[in-house]
Amino acid sequence: MTDENNKVSPTGGDPIAIGLEGASEQNSMPTTKVQRSAKFVTTGIKIGGNYIKHYSKKLFNPDMDKSELNEDNATDIYKSLSELKGSALKVAQMLSMDKNLLPQAYVDKFTQSQYNAPPLSGPLIVQTFRKYFGKNPDQIFDKFNIRSTNAASIGQVHEAELNGKRLAVKIQYPGVGDSISSDLKLVKPFAFRMLGMSERDLEIYMREVEERLLEETDYELEVRRSVEFSTACANLDNVVFPNYYPELSSKRIITMDWLEGKHLREFLATNPSQELRNQIGQALWDFYNFQQHELRAVHADPHPGNFLITPDGKLGVIDFGCIKEMPEDFYYPFFSLTSTNLLDNKVETIKAFRQLDMIHKDDSPAQIEFYYTQFREMIELFAMPYLHDHFDFSQTAFFDQLYRFGERLSKLPEFKQARGVKHFIYVNRTNFGLYNILHELKAQVKTDTYKPHVVLEY
Amino acid sequence: MATIESIQNAYIDYVLTEGEQPKSVYIFAKQNEMTEAEFYQFFGSFEAVEQNIWAEFARKTLMEIRGQEIWGGYSAREKALSFFYGFFELIKNSRSFAIYTINKQPKGFTTPRVFEQLKDIYENFADEILKEGLESSELSDRKFFSKRYKDALWVQFVFVLNFWVNDNSAGFEKTDEAIEKGVNVTFDLFQRSPIDNLFEYGKFLVKNGGIKDKMGF
Repeated sequence: MTDENNKVSPTGGDPIAIGLEGASEQNSMPTTKVQRSAKFVTTGIKIGGNYIKHYSKKLFNPDMDKSELNEDNATDIYKSLSELKGSALKVAQMLSMDKNLLPQAYVDKFTQSQYNAPPLSGPLIVQTFRKYFGKNPDQIFDKFNIRSTNAASIGQVHEAELNGKRLAVKIQYPGVGDSISSDLKLVKPFAFRMLGMSERDLEIYMREVEERLLEETDYELEVRRSVEFSTACANLDNVVFPNYYPELSSKRIITMDWLEGKHLREFLATNPSQELRNQIGQALWDFYNFQQHELRAVHADPHPGNFLITPDGKLGVIDFGCIKEMPEDFYYPFFSLTSTNLLDNKVETIKAFRQLDMIHKDDSPAQIEFYYTQFREMIELFAMPYLHDHFDFSQTAFFDQLYRFGERLSKLPEFKQARGVKHFIYVNRTNFGLYNILHELKAQVKTDTYKPHVVLEY
Repeated sequence: MATIESIQNAYIDYVLTEGEQPKSVYIFAKQNEMTEAEFYQFFGSFEAVEQNIWAEFARKTLMEIRGQEIWGGYSAREKALSFFYGFFELIKNSRSFAIYTINKQPKGFTTPRVFEQLKDIYENFADEILKEGLESSELSDRKFFSKRYKDALWVQFVFVLNFWVNDNSAGFEKTDEAIEKGVNVTFDLFQRSPIDNLFEYGKFLVKNGGIKDKMGF
């Protein structure tokens, strides 16, 4: 195969199949999606087989513990992931500047395969309501559709009606929280081997991922945050949020208004005008940058499924499960780098790199020089949209460049070890995820609406 | 005046406080200010009391789920699931008593005596929904096997019951998972599946493919 064939077309969105997880669902070509799910089906079957093997062995030897089973499972999961490797992992590498994101990709793919679960049965939904409200759903709502309309990542969505209002009711699969922790434990030893990272290094990133994933399972927290964020962002142009109903929500259930609208892909299929695409793109840009630079906490899951485009051309945001808070000691060094004034000052830039753990204390002068050059180029690329007061995300050249850079980075042996503080995982996922959606939209965006706060010296 | 219910409640209270059965019906009756005759009017023995409590759980569950508006729209699979969820939600309130009686039963392959009445009710219910399922061809009617479907459902029930006894998860969420996954698998097996096709294909080959000769049998 020639190099040409290996390269994924930048317009296909694959190079930054980004956001990593969910995004791939909408970005990659359907064939790929089918192949991927097929992959997970076979893995699922193998894992099922492993359980059968385990229990039949256990029948004869009751003392057998589960370690062999876990080992078998993880091997099969690993195999299927390494077959998926191609773009998914390369992209992960690119996004993380090094290998930070790899475990994330690994985990995402893994959890995804877990929760491509069959829909919850009607009786289980009734049971969930009885457990948390002591009533059947039809006693709470005027109308409740027991068949779910949509799958959410760790639950499913039902349509309901109360007092003439159309509502969306999200119900979580039971036992998700438990399995996240145990799944991550399962993945860990293999991630060590796979990444060749030290256990200590990886631990930091894994914990970050686990924290975020566990937060996503806490629906009470999600309701609180949704209310907080939608209030804080209420003044943004062309961004709309559903109302949330805490009294109709619980640990496993969220009730909110039903937002009418199209998902990104459906929206694009209607051939929207450049003007409309710009409007949505601008709303997205403002939504993210207002949060990052003003709230210092950001909706860290730019999965196209979390947005709807309403009939009157507004951006509806429907999921606040994953929020990444940015501490000052990360925010300032990182976003200050997006200002050319700082990036042109080598001494200060290296200081910022050190603060972000991108350059380590015990690096030799040669190493410092090497990482400085690489990361500088990386940051330059990242900051490109901030350089002028507007940016055209439709241009493929920019994404091509990003992709080539990531490609090159993934081949450098110097990037075998962990570099960068843990916050990069979600902040990168957020921003590159955003870039990618904007690219899909081919939007031209005014990028000076909510600018990073910059410190010029350290 | 003693009633079935007052005797049952007094009995549950006694075994949970004392950790064992009353020494005799006489002592039990005396403590609860009734005559022995009153007790025997309703139950022949303590075991009968326990059996009836379990049977009552099933009857109450059935009444509850059949009263739900949605019941009529459920498939056989959903009706079975609904029974499981309703039942385990109900016995949650009597978990101590449930565990006390279950742990008392001798381990073995036969149905513990305390479940005998419960099993009758359960099997009637299973028969009814399976028949519905077979009629609507939700389930696959197989020679010999369809008669055994209800046994499979009973095994499933006993399995979940044991699972629940050992479940430490908050709100018994794991039991919910066990029900959802277990009952669905069982019903998947009752449905027409690739195995049926494989079997059909095998039959066809044996009849028409001359497979015996070619394979050198």
